[in-house]
Amino acid sequence: MALNLRQKQTECIIRMLNLNQPLNPSGTANEEVYKILIYDRFCQNILSPLIHVKDLRKHGVTLYFLIDKDRRPVHDVPAVYFVQPTESNLQRIEADASRSLYDTFHLNFSSSIPRKLLEELASGTLKSGSVEKITKLHDQYLEFVTLEDNLFSLAQQSTYVQMNDPSAGDKEIEEIIERVASGLFCVLVTLSVVPVIRCPRGGPAEMVASLLDQKLRDHLLSKNNLFTEGGGFMSSFQRPLLCIFDRNFELSVGIQHDFRYRPLVHDVLGLKLNRLNVQGEKGGNKSFELDSSDPFWSSNSSLEFPEVAVEIETQLNKYKRDVEEVNKRTGGGSGAEFDGTDLIGNTKHLMNAVNSLPELTERKQVIDKHTNIATALLGQIKERSIDAFTKKESEMMMRGGIDRAELMAALKGKGTKMDKLRFAIMYLISTETINQSEVEAVEAALNEAEADTSAFQYVKKIKSLNVSLAASSANSASRSNIVDWAEKLYGQSISAVTAGVKNLLSSDQQLAVTRTVEALTEGKPNPEIDSYLFLDPRAPKSSSSAGSHVKGPFREAIVFMIGGGNYVEYGSLQELTQRQLTVKNVIYGATEILTGGELVEQLGLLGKKMGLGGPVGSTSSH
Amino acid sequence: MSVRHGQSSYRDRTGEFFKIVESLRGSIAPAANSNVPYGNNRSDGGRREDLNKRSEFNRRAAQIGLAINQTSQKLSKLAKLAKKTSVFDDPTREIQELTVVVKQEISALNTALIDLQVFRSSQNDEGNNSRDRDKTTFSATVVDDLKNRLMDTTKEFKDVLTMRTENMKIHENRRQLFSSNASKESTNPFVRQRPLAAKAAAASESAPLPWANGASSSSSQLVPWKQGEAESSPLLQQSQQQQQQQQMVPLQDTYMQSRAEALHNVESTIHELGSIFTQLATMVSQQGEIAIRIDQNMEDTLANVEGAQSQLARYLNSISSNRWLMMKIFFVLIAFLMIFLFFVA
Repeated sequence: MALNLRQKQTECIIRMLNLNQPLNPSGTANEEVYKILIYDRFCQNILSPLIHVKDLRKHGVTLYFLIDKDRRPVHDVPAVYFVQPTESNLQRIEADASRSLYDTFHLNFSSSIPRKLLEELASGTLKSGSVEKITKLHDQYLEFVTLEDNLFSLAQQSTYVQMNDPSAGDKEIEEIIERVASGLFCVLVTLSVVPVIRCPRGGPAEMVASLLDQKLRDHLLSKNNLFTEGGGFMSSFQRPLLCIFDRNFELSVGIQHDFRYRPLVHDVLGLKLNRLNVQGEKGGNKSFELDSSDPFWSSNSSLEFPEVAVEIETQLNKYKRDVEEVNKRTGGGSGAEFDGTDLIGNTKHLMNAVNSLPELTERKQVIDKHTNIATALLGQIKERSIDAFTKKESEMMMRGGIDRAELMAALKGKGTKMDKLRFAIMYLISTETINQSEVEAVEAALNEAEADTSAFQYVKKIKSLNVSLAASSANSASRSNIVDWAEKLYGQSISAVTAGVKNLLSSDQQLAVTRTVEALTEGKPNPEIDSYLFLDPRAPKSSSSAGSHVKGPFREAIVFMIGGGNYVEYGSLQELTQRQLTVKNVIYGATEILTGGELVEQLGLLGKKMGLGGPVGSTSSH
Repeated sequence: MSVRHGQSSYRDRTGEFFKIVESLRGSIAPAANSNVPYGNNRSDGGRREDLNKRSEFNRRAAQIGLAINQTSQKLSKLAKLAKKTSVFDDPTREIQELTVVVKQEISALNTALIDLQVFRSSQNDEGNNSRDRDKTTFSATVVDDLKNRLMDTTKEFKDVLTMRTENMKIHENRRQLFSSNASKESTNPFVRQRPLAAKAAAASESAPLPWANGASSSSSQLVPWKQGEAESSPLLQQSQQQQQQQQMVPLQDTYMQSRAEALHNVESTIHELGSIFTQLATMVSQQGEIAIRIDQNMEDTLANVEGAQSQLARYLNSISSNRWLMMKIFFVLIAFLMIFLFFVA
């Protein structure tokens, strides 16, 4: 039984729409109740990739509104609220209740509502005399957005900047950690599993992991907990492994260009919440939906772009053949063998043709959609020569360097400012030692392209810090200061990346995250992962040394990336499940799903905060 | 697994909430107590009449919804009966009764739905349009939903009936197969009583007996069965062809007659359903909302359009009250007048 996050979350939402009543086997409520659904923006994002208007109607939702919209009363109809437990939302609810917009109020909160807010709501509704209106109040633990069966996002924006912000105080960092941990907690509740947690020592990953561990422990102590699976010790084979990483663990994946279909669509065309807007040929904006209901997308999204183009072609040919077949069978004008026996055959064929038409039109629609997307992609690729960037970047990562001529050619060639900037940063990350003159040349080229170099400066600074840090003894850095600590972390991460590059030379191209997850799930002693923190929320606290039973191979893994994930890593992890035997299923999640450009923007923001780079012209003037 | 999961992944905090409410009620009781009844009374009085009308609509909608549910339950029973393929234990009678009942119910529901729609539109005409915007949409959606469900039920009914016809045809085939073992040429004369078969009289003479040589051994039942299914249509023609060999077996004939009648009934029902279908189809407006996602920013667009309109209105205002423009126009006019006076006159 593989964990399927998307299915589970959809189940939860449908149960919520049916006023948390038990469902009958056919999936609809026993009693038909027409109701109104009200959600806030965040919950809209949760709902929209999972459930369509058709499904809402099926479950008796007639109207659906954003909470802060001006709504009119609809008396004697129950209303289902699905909102985040925030103060402003509660005030809206109180106002709605006091105006008695609806008959009854069923409140559902995306995460657990704190006691304080609950009291406020109680006093507010009591004062306006509308407390009877509120009939039900539930914590749903659904505060995350599921994009695909094995992909989720906490939709917490620019976590990377906040985590690495040199000016951030302890309190802010703690808040973010708390937010991330509670988001992860929601995911685990929805999956109803208690995983074994592993993460690299030090840094945000450890903080999140230990907080989550604490949360789970506290929760498991209470009698009526949300994890009702058979208590006691379960073998690690049935429990999943939760690996928490932080973006600095492998920064390069977030920045590099990729040539596979799904990352390309996300990076170039801006796939958002499984929806895509493409400029049509006639200037009209077309919107496509890409999720598991699209067979072409789910089977081909991990292929390289040229292969996808070929695949579209073959699908189109197949479709054409089928249409021809149908035409031939229905005897469109052929009339060659038109005797009595065939008349009957003809009507049969006609019936078949009519029956096969819906399927054919559906296929045609899918093909059209992907043709449109591929055309748009191709235009962008040609214009920005993304293929060249991809090739050179992967070469750099393999060899740990690049010819100066090639470097300059790429920086002066086609491509947007952002492409060049990303390329330059990749160059920085990939080279082991900084060649001063080359870096200056790169900088000059960037300035020439009028790119904002603060992100570049930031990475350079971090890298030079790393070098100096390596020169001095590593233990001299005190952990008391959060800034020092963050910088040290950078050092670690980048040296890890450069170490990874060497490994890449021998093995096939595989991301550090994937390799680590593979090693962790295998459970064999491996020097690379021995230092990793091990937390088991089910084990008694006193026994710090982990028993062998939870070290063994894991079939299911949940990989979580703090500070922005991307489709490249997702694809790589899904490949792992196909290639490897022990791991059957990997769920990948991140605080948010970022394109390369967005991550570089966050880096640039950090650079500016550190006072590097600055406005474009200033560095080029001298 | 999913059931248990469904119970465990959320938490009911209604009890906690009301406990808080109770404790708070004690502390702020004096202020609240005087307030509550008054507030309730006022709001109740204000919308008493309104509420009655609303509940009338809701009541009716709920009734129709319930009736549709019941009908579909009957329908599933009917489907189960129709699926029975045994030749001997044939529940024709039950099926016919059920068919009639379902048919009546569907047409009754149809009229009830039309009534509801009329009621809704009359209510809307009375109501203030802008105030009841949400209410109107709500009732419209309810009616649409009911229509869709009725449509689905009707479709299902049609499918069941089609299946039934198919099954009956297969039965005939099988019967004929077994009886033709005794006397191959004396196959069922009942077909000539069927109106449909008469229409299809223009068949070819050359149609071979599908199973005459293929399944002569009749060792395996499966092969002829399959053939019979595929060639159900030639059967009609073929029997037409054999009409002249009128070997009447009286006892068999009555049975055949009843079967033919049953078939006829089913077919006429399908026909009637077809008309209901078309009627419904015109009623159901195809909203095309199958693939709509809730975040398709209709609201935003609306807001933008409204914003644009207000901006334009403001611009219009500023233009109409623009004194400077008036002055300029005035000066231009004067200048022209001057030029005209000095140089032309």
